[in-house]
Amino acid sequence: MGKNGSSRITVLFLAALGILLLFLPSMIPRFYTYILSLIFVTALLAMSLNMVVGHGGLFQFHHCVFYGVGAYAFALMITKAGLPMWLSFIAAPLASALAGLMIGWLCVRLTKLYFGMLQISLGSLIWAITFRWYSLTHGDDGIHGIPMPGLIAGTTGAYYFILLFFALCLLVMYVIFKSPFGMTLQAMRDNPDRCAAVGINVRRHQLTAIVVATFFAGIAGVLFVVLERTVFPDLLFWVLSLEVFIMCLLGGWFTFAGPALGAAITVALRTFVGIYTDYWTLVLGTLLIFLIFFLPEGVMGFILEKLESRGRKEVSGPRGV
Amino acid sequence: MILFIVCSGLSYVLGVLRVPNVAHGSLYMIGAFAAFSITKLVAGPAGFWLALILAPFIVALVGFVAERALFCHLYEREHLMLLLFTFALSLILGDLVKIVWGAEYKSIMAPAVFDGTVSIMGASIPKYNFFLLMIGPFVAVALWLFANKTKIGRIARAAAVDREMVGAVGINVSWVFAFAFVLGCFLAGLGGALVAPTVSITLGMDHNLIIEAFLIVIIGGLGNMWGAMVGSLIFGLSQAFGVLFWPQFAIVFPYMAVVIVLIWRPKGLLKSVW
Amino acid sequence: MLRVENLYKSFDGFMAVNGAELLVEKGRRVAVIGPNGAGKTTLFNLITGQLKPDRGKVRLDDEEIGHLPPHEVCRRGIARSFQIANIFHRLNVFKNVQVSVLSRQKNSNRFFYPAHRMAVEETDRILESVGLLDRADDIAGSLSHGDQRILEIAIALGTEPQLLILDEPTAGMSPDETSATMALIRRLSETRGLTILFCEHDMDVVFNAAQSIMVMSHGKTIIQAEPGEVRRNRAVQEAYLGGEEDA
Repeated sequence: MGKNGSSRITVLFLAALGILLLFLPSMIPRFYTYILSLIFVTALLAMSLNMVVGHGGLFQFHHCVFYGVGAYAFALMITKAGLPMWLSFIAAPLASALAGLMIGWLCVRLTKLYFGMLQISLGSLIWAITFRWYSLTHGDDGIHGIPMPGLIAGTTGAYYFILLFFALCLLVMYVIFKSPFGMTLQAMRDNPDRCAAVGINVRRHQLTAIVVATFFAGIAGVLFVVLERTVFPDLLFWVLSLEVFIMCLLGGWFTFAGPALGAAITVALRTFVGIYTDYWTLVLGTLLIFLIFFLPEGVMGFILEKLESRGRKEVSGPRGV
Repeated sequence: MILFIVCSGLSYVLGVLRVPNVAHGSLYMIGAFAAFSITKLVAGPAGFWLALILAPFIVALVGFVAERALFCHLYEREHLMLLLFTFALSLILGDLVKIVWGAEYKSIMAPAVFDGTVSIMGASIPKYNFFLLMIGPFVAVALWLFANKTKIGRIARAAAVDREMVGAVGINVSWVFAFAFVLGCFLAGLGGALVAPTVSITLGMDHNLIIEAFLIVIIGGLGNMWGAMVGSLIFGLSQAFGVLFWPQFAIVFPYMAVVIVLIWRPKGLLKSVW
Repeated sequence: MLRVENLYKSFDGFMAVNGAELLVEKGRRVAVIGPNGAGKTTLFNLITGQLKPDRGKVRLDDEEIGHLPPHEVCRRGIARSFQIANIFHRLNVFKNVQVSVLSRQKNSNRFFYPAHRMAVEETDRILESVGLLDRADDIAGSLSHGDQRILEIAIALGTEPQLLILDEPTAGMSPDETSATMALIRRLSETRGLTILFCEHDMDVVFNAAQSIMVMSHGKTIIQAEPGEVRRNRAVQEAYLGGEEDA
C-alpha cells in the first residue's frame, strides 16, 4: 500500500480496482466470477490468520477450525434449526469467536510452540467430533444444497454479496491494523516481554486479537457457504490450515494486504494448474520450497522492499502502509 | 506399536534437529508403498522379509537426498521455516507417490507364518500383531542404545543442545544432522513397511498418520523417545477404550486424551530434550 | 520508596539470590554492583515481576509487589530497561516509544482510531530528551548498539515511571557513549526527580553517578552504603574489588 506521498496513488489504485471488480462479472465467463468469489473468501480467511500470526506472532497452526465452525454453524442453523438467514449470518461468526475465545483462553497461557501444539490438538479434537457426529453434521458426506435467498443464490449475486462483505471486513481490519491495538499487537509480536514491562497485559491483548481474528474467520466460513452451498469436514482439517499459513507466507506476513495476495495467487494457481495436471500439491510444494529459499518475506514483502529501496529513508511498513 | 516405531523416529528428529518433520508421514507412506512393490517383485515370504529390510533403506535414501540437496541449507534459518520446508516436502512426496504408484488402493499379505492367532493371557491376538508387539520394544532398545552408547548418537545429542559448541570442536554438525534425519526416515519407512500387511495402502496414509504421530510426540515430551512410547500407549489405549465404549466416536477419544494431557502438562508428560 | 527484604530465589537448587537486601530512597541514584553471577539481574527480575521470589518481600511504598506480574509492576510506577537490548526491532524508533506512552495512557486497546495521531507530542518530547528525535523514522533494528540502549531508556521513560531500573545501561558502549548516557541519567534524575536504580560493571560510572551503592556477592547483600564507605569496606574489597580492577 502506499506511504506518505504515494498514499494518494494507492487510493487511486484501490478505487480503480474497486470499479473493475464491480463491473467484472458482466465481462467475464461465469467460471471466473466463481473463482474470484473463492479468492475473496480465501483471502479473508488468510487475512484473519495473519492478524494473529503475522501481526501477533502467535503460532496459530490450526486456524481453519474457526473457519469450519463458522461454516458449519451457519449451515446447521439454516438447515437444522431453521433460523432466518440474517440471524444465522450474524450468529455463525459469533460462534466462531466463541470457539476462538475458549480455545484461545486455554492456549494463551503458553508460549510459542506449546501454544501451537495445544491449538492443533484442540482443533483436531473439534475436527474429529465433526467428522464423527453423523447425525448432526453428516460426517464425511457433509451437508449439501444449503438454500440461499434468491438474490445471492446465483453466481453473480453471490459474487457481489461476498465482495461487499470482503471489502467491509478488509476496511475494518485495516482500521484495526492502524489503531493502537494493532500497533501494540505488533509490538507484542516483536517483544512480548518488553510489552509486559511497559504495562501491557500481554495475554489479554493476545486473547482479544484471537477472538477478533476468529470472528473474521467465521465470516469467511459463512461466505464460503454462500458460495458453495455445502460444508464438509475438510474445512476443519489441518492440511487446509497449513495451506492458509502458506498463503500468508507467500503474500508476506508482515504486510497488511500480503495474505490476500497470497490467497489470490494460490487459488488462481490451484485452479489453473488443476486444469493441466492432477499434481497440484507437487506444484504447491515446489513453490513453497522456492519461497522459503528465495522470498522469505513473501511476494508483497519483496515488492515493498523494492519500492522502499527506491525511496529515500526506510520507513517501516505500518507508519505509511 | 507401529505408532511407536514411527513416532520414535519423529521424536528423534525433533530432539536432534529441533524440527517437527511433517514429511514423516509421507516417508511412512513411501515405506508402505515400497514394501508393496518389493513384494510384487519377489513373491512369497521371502519378498515380505526382503521388503521389511529394504523398504526402510529406500526411504532413508529418499530422506538423505532431500536433506543433502535442500534441507541442510536451511539449518541457519528459524524453526518455522524448517517446519514449512518439511511440509512442502510432504506435499511433494505425496504427489510423487501418486505418480509412481498410482491412486488406487494397494494391499499386501503377511507371510503364512503369521496366519492365525496367539493366545496370551486368555486373549487371542493375531500372530502378526504379536510380532509387532515384540518388535516395538526391540526397536526402542536399539534406538536407545544407539543414541546413548554409540559415539555418533552421543554427538547427536550434544549437537541438539548446543550446535555451535559441537561445531567449534571440529565436528561437522551438518553431517550429524543429516545422519539423524536419515535415521528418522529409516524408522518411518520401517513403520510403513511393518504396517503394510495390516491396512490398505492408500494415498491418505500420510495425512492420517502425521497428525496422530505429532500429537503423540507432543504429549510424550518433545524429543523424548520413552515419551513417544508412553504417548503411543496412551493414544492406542484411549482409542481402544473408545471403541469399546462409544464406537461411533472412537477417534475422538485419543484426541480428547491429548487435550487433557496438554492442558495438564503443556510440555508433555516426560521431560523434553529441549 | 523501594525496599527489598530478605529475598531468596533458587533455580533447580542453585541459589541465585540468597538473602538480598536493598533500600532505594526517593529521588536518589542507587547502584548495585557485584562480580559476574552475583545475582544482580535476577534481583532486578524479582523486583519487576519477571520472576517470583521463593521467600522474602519486595515493597514499594509499603505495598508488597513481589508476586505481581510485570505489567502490574509497571503500572505501579516502576519501569526498567534490559541488559540485552530489548526493543521492538521491526517498528521504527517513534513507534517503539509510542507503544509505551500509549500503554501508560491506557490507550493500547483502542480499536478505531488511527495510531499515528495519538500521543505524538509526548513521544516526541521523550525522544528529544534522549536525543533520538532526528532518528524517529529509522527502524529500531538498524540503530547502533549504543543508540539501541538509549532507545531502551526512552521506552522505559514512556511509562512516566517514578522508579527507573536500568540493567547495565552502558554495557558494550564506547567511552564517549558511556559518558553521554551517564550524563543523560544524571539529567533525568535531577530535572525530573526520577529515582534511579541501576547495576553496572564499570566502576568509574558507578562511583561517579551513584549516591548509594549496594554490593552483592553469591546472591547475598554484603553492604549498602555511600560510595566512600563502600570503597573502604574490607569485605567488599575481598569479594570484589580486591585485586581485579573492573573498569
